[in-house]
Amino acid sequence: MRKMKFAPTLVAAAVSTVLLVGNTALAGKQDATKSEQAGPAPLAPLGPPPIPPDNLQSDAKAELGKILFFDPRIGGDASTACSSCHEPEQGWAWSEDLSRGYPGTVHWRNSQTIVNSAYYGRGFWAGSVPSLEKQAPAAAKGGVAGNGEDDIMEARLALIPEYRKRFKEVFGTQWPLIQDVWRAMAAYERTLVQRDTPLDKYLQGDQAALSEEQVRGKALFEGKAGCIQCHNGALASDQDYHNIGVPANKRWEEDGLAQITFRFEQYAKGQTEEGYRTAKSDWGFYYRSKNKWDKGKFRTPSLRYTAHTAPYMHNGILYTLEDVVEFYDRGGFDEEGRTTQFAENKSKLIKPLGLTDEEKADLVAFLESFSGDPITTEKPVLPEYAPLFTRAELEAAQEAK
Amino acid sequence: MGVRVTNGRALLAAVMGLGVAVSAQAGEYPDIGPLPALKVDAAKAELGKRLFFDKRLSGDAGIACSTCHVPENGFGSKEALSPGYPGNGNFRNAQSVINTAYKKVWLHDGRIGTDLNDVTREMITEDYIMNMDMRIMQERLKQDPVYVEMFKAAGKNEPSNGGARSIIPEYLKSLTSRNAPFDSGKMSASAKSGMALFKGKAGCIQCHNGPLLSDQKPHNTGVPENFDVFLDPMNHQAFIAFAMFQGIPNYMNLKRDPGYLNITLDPKDMGKFITPSLRELKYTAPYMHNGTIKMLAEVVEFYNQGGGKDSNKSPLLKPLQLSKAEKKDLVAFLEALSGDQLTSDQYVWKGEYPAEYPAIDNWTQVRN
Repeated sequence: MRKMKFAPTLVAAAVSTVLLVGNTALAGKQDATKSEQAGPAPLAPLGPPPIPPDNLQSDAKAELGKILFFDPRIGGDASTACSSCHEPEQGWAWSEDLSRGYPGTVHWRNSQTIVNSAYYGRGFWAGSVPSLEKQAPAAAKGGVAGNGEDDIMEARLALIPEYRKRFKEVFGTQWPLIQDVWRAMAAYERTLVQRDTPLDKYLQGDQAALSEEQVRGKALFEGKAGCIQCHNGALASDQDYHNIGVPANKRWEEDGLAQITFRFEQYAKGQTEEGYRTAKSDWGFYYRSKNKWDKGKFRTPSLRYTAHTAPYMHNGILYTLEDVVEFYDRGGFDEEGRTTQFAENKSKLIKPLGLTDEEKADLVAFLESFSGDPITTEKPVLPEYAPLFTRAELEAAQEAK
Repeated sequence: MGVRVTNGRALLAAVMGLGVAVSAQAGEYPDIGPLPALKVDAAKAELGKRLFFDKRLSGDAGIACSTCHVPENGFGSKEALSPGYPGNGNFRNAQSVINTAYKKVWLHDGRIGTDLNDVTREMITEDYIMNMDMRIMQERLKQDPVYVEMFKAAGKNEPSNGGARSIIPEYLKSLTSRNAPFDSGKMSASAKSGMALFKGKAGCIQCHNGPLLSDQKPHNTGVPENFDVFLDPMNHQAFIAFAMFQGIPNYMNLKRDPGYLNITLDPKDMGKFITPSLRELKYTAPYMHNGTIKMLAEVVEFYNQGGGKDSNKSPLLKPLQLSKAEKKDLVAFLEALSGDQLTSDQYVWKGEYPAEYPAIDNWTQVRN
């Protein structure tokens, strides 16, 4: 199929928010929006991930999804799998500021971890997709990510006997269908959850699960530092969009390949001509809402598993949790005093915190309690191609012409 | 996309219909002869040349137009089946693009009947060919200072997707037959005899007529399938992706190339392919839509036997009973349709391409 990309529209975003039923949990988001008066939802142990009724979980489906997650044939030139940017050894993410891209490109945002992605109501940094089932194709087909097309990817699967067998078992179809690829991947991703962190244990009553330092950090998190205003609930994310003052990634000033992708993204995300000509930073949630007050807003990320997912922020400009705490302590400024290009949109919740060195250390220690051990996995053996027809069958067809 | 295909079909049908009306008068075929000269914009053609040989015009920057359209091979593919985009194969032989500017219908199945601008887009964006998101291509071009200059010289404000699509065809206009003995009147006696057979006993002119030596219409000549299309999953997946997207019925079970059926979905068009031009074929072996015939002498023998086996084969094809000498003469004539090789700097971009994209200076201050 020819490559034709359409920019996501506000209408699509609005509609999909309403139609979210059957995709993933909305609970966290509703909590957040109602939290203004009642105060933020308290931190809580993470429950089982929500399972959409139109894509029920099964072991066979998740196992198929795992193979597909690691299979680079789900991509344009059979070089780039999901796992290429969501590498288990790099926190199921990518440990550079901007994610690696499809060959010949670099991405323009930081790759987010797959771990606990099952709990988000919407995917990507600006929430452009309503479910894991929609995130997977957006990444596999995006020009600077997988750059695949439905027809060629589906055709490949048809020529791999083990996939034919597994898709038939799981989905009951004669041939693998591309839509079922995304469903299987989503099912696999729903198994990549971490619910036994020190914080989960502590919140379930195990007082010894956090150190004294971490307990002090928790009090700061919920009090003086105010982190909980956005990082709340079981996921430690209100799943809402905020401009916290992250400045543009300087790499765009110095790296020609990154400049290409930067402009492409303006184009691809439906910028106005003037916006395309003048944008010098990621406008974030604006690309979906097209409201000027949304420039520079990004979805609050979960703090879970962050011990393994450096660097941080939508553009990866902060390399350690210490850097992150310093950034907030300065009121949303980096060490050079840079902040968002859209200062008028910067959240009122962000102000200098006046933390002492000891408090900063306590906070970092507490942040580490959101992560358990790294989740590892044995990479699957990828099934091989086999011709669909025998020579004898082809000769018979030739004879019958 | 559905709209585009429908338009393509309608336009194509119009072109076809016209052709039928012209050549339906029994025994009358547009005469063969030299092609008219084309006016070429030098600055645009030079830019188009650089684009044609630039791998950065494909998704992963792995292949250029010239990867399949090889100058030494008459700007066609050396392999029976074109290499295709990395991670895939292909299911047809890339045709020569020499003289392509004269055509009214393009590709073996004739699926584009508008212009070379559309053909250019089709080749660059198709997933098993160059798999390029042209928005990324545009930004790559804007990042290369040489292109910025060349687009200006070609009268364009800045490099753009639409600009590239209009400029590559200008370069293709420069790829035309040069000094073919047939055109210059310097044919050997054997070639002259061959030409008489071509127009007479062998009946080639029934389809290979006009200055291009092609009626640009679909015919089934019974060319055998190239089994490598189906036995090599790399090729077969490209075929399946193509057939799926085009909406060809029963595509998973197809064991043959449907050809022009792609356009009409009418069973009577199964296995028809657009008559190729015979110009420059000295360089463009192997032959036929699937590259199954390696030498010109074998092509002549194929037709001498009345073509291949197919219940849908054109009634124009009958055993010819050519003598050995006649076949030789026919080959001599076919060879006289080829001119100078277009492999000099005039036609081939031989400069280096930069290994990296330089950053734009003062990026935060200049307009994108």
